[in-house]
Amino acid sequence: MGLQTSDFKRQTSTVVLGLGNPLMADEGIGVYLVERLLEVADEYPAVDFIDAGTGGLSILHQLEGRHKAILIDCAFMEEPPGALRRFTPDEVRSMKVLAHQSLHEADVLQILALARRLGQAPEEIVIFGIQPERVEPGPGLSPALAERFDEYLAALRRELTS
Amino acid sequence: MSNRTVNINVHHVTRVEGHGNIVVNATNGKIEKLQWQVPEAPRFFEAMVRGRSYEDIQTIVSRICGICSISHSLVATKAVENATGIQVSEQTDRIRLLLHYSEQLQSHVLHVGYLVAPDLFGVPSVVPLVGIAPGPVKTIIGLHRLANEWSALLAGRITHPVTLRPGGLTKIPTEAQLRELQDRLRKCLPDLKAVADVVLSVAGNLPKFERPTEYVSLKQTQPPTYAFYHGEIASTDAKSTVAVNDWKSVANEYVNDQSTAKWAKWHRDSYAVGALARFNNNAELLSPTAKAVAKMFGLAKGCCNPYFNSVAQIVEAVHVVEVSIALIDTLLTKGLKAETVAVSPKAGKASGAVEAPRGILFHEYEFDRKGNCMSADLCIPTNQNHANIQKDIEKLVPEILDEPEDQIRLKLEMLVRSYDPCVSCSTHMLDVEFVR
Repeated sequence: MGLQTSDFKRQTSTVVLGLGNPLMADEGIGVYLVERLLEVADEYPAVDFIDAGTGGLSILHQLEGRHKAILIDCAFMEEPPGALRRFTPDEVRSMKVLAHQSLHEADVLQILALARRLGQAPEEIVIFGIQPERVEPGPGLSPALAERFDEYLAALRRELTS
Repeated sequence: MSNRTVNINVHHVTRVEGHGNIVVNATNGKIEKLQWQVPEAPRFFEAMVRGRSYEDIQTIVSRICGICSISHSLVATKAVENATGIQVSEQTDRIRLLLHYSEQLQSHVLHVGYLVAPDLFGVPSVVPLVGIAPGPVKTIIGLHRLANEWSALLAGRITHPVTLRPGGLTKIPTEAQLRELQDRLRKCLPDLKAVADVVLSVAGNLPKFERPTEYVSLKQTQPPTYAFYHGEIASTDAKSTVAVNDWKSVANEYVNDQSTAKWAKWHRDSYAVGALARFNNNAELLSPTAKAVAKMFGLAKGCCNPYFNSVAQIVEAVHVVEVSIALIDTLLTKGLKAETVAVSPKAGKASGAVEAPRGILFHEYEFDRKGNCMSADLCIPTNQNHANIQKDIEKLVPEILDEPEDQIRLKLEMLVRSYDPCVSCSTHMLDVEFVR
């Protein structure tokens, strides 16, 4: 299918999804990390790196047909600002309350549950959650995250070669 | 006369992602408080673009929203071009329109399938809906996927487009890709019809509520087109249209104590935008199958049941697919040409308007002679609907006050959902507790 192979390629077994909004400070950490990983994408021919932004349910279609998905997102985890935790969806419970008023609400864990229910989830799903220092309008990361950016990148690269 | 005492407070306390709150207080049948509150935090996008180049605006504002990022990018590009006197080719205009249609399909099938259908089937969300209606859910997901791939082909990626720039596009599809897209669009029409049939089978669960309302949308007369992308501002309360640059005389935005989002009013104390507004202003211009689907639901011009906005979305989903098939024919007949566009900065101030899936969207920008943005003013559809949601609640609650409290609550939540609001779109973080 031309649409899929050229402009929406899905042939790789692993997808890395950077989630968030780079114009909301630390909320954009997933997008900032994927932007950096794209610079070294040639080293990982079996991996798609996708800036998924705040597209919400659209990530369903990025998960389908993959063996492994790595999600990078800003996460409230009751950790110090800048803390990185690697976890699977089964290791956490979502504390988000969705009003179901709007398509614009999104709970990644619920989307992953839907993918599983549909039989479209990758066998392996790993989430890299990074505790924000501030989530507010404006570009750029706060110092607590900016200082550890290379550490996050190294952890992701280890995950990709594991 | 009711003597009910009802206290409903649908209050969603979240950290940054905003939601609306519905507050209903009635004591012994006397209504004391009915409020649609939107306590979201301001997001300052208008300040963020100040000082930025006219060439960067559409990329920045695409981050306003993850669902209507194409509409925000398109309207910004149009406003920038209007302000700086840039003309675009017919080919660019057609490809952008085709891109815009992809977002209508994507957003409408998502809204109907993921948010409205669970209400109609009596389940809390789409996850349990998979258990009772797996076939329709898979059909919706297939349509959503097609719409996403259609967007990705023309926008460079699914959300937050990267192909738009003042004067043109950084990349155009090949003729083979357009033929393939056209083939897939033809094949998806039966799926859309199947979705319409399923929704029709439970459409009796849409509340029977009407309130005469002013409906505002774009209207295009040259040539007559069911307008999403071109045209002037029309109202069901007015015979003549208003130029896009004069949108402030339409929206008349004002602040209200119960909401941090602005409200809007024109000929009445509120108006509605969105699929039903477009339908009420333009229904005679729908494609043949879209007209047939509207008829199937008994949807006709003049409908003022807000719950039928979701039905109008199904009608529009069919319409955009049918007209896109024809639009691709035109593009292929004319032949695709690589175009280079030379643009230069110029001082100016102007607006643009497009129909986002959830209603008419205005952007206005002013640039200095170097093309740096001096000011911006953005008016989103959901803000234009807030006052109308409040007025609907004020009429609806007295009519249903004798019903069980959970029914009142559900009908109010369904009412808000029917407007397909955008109250939390720029931020999506995780909030988790470790269980092991």
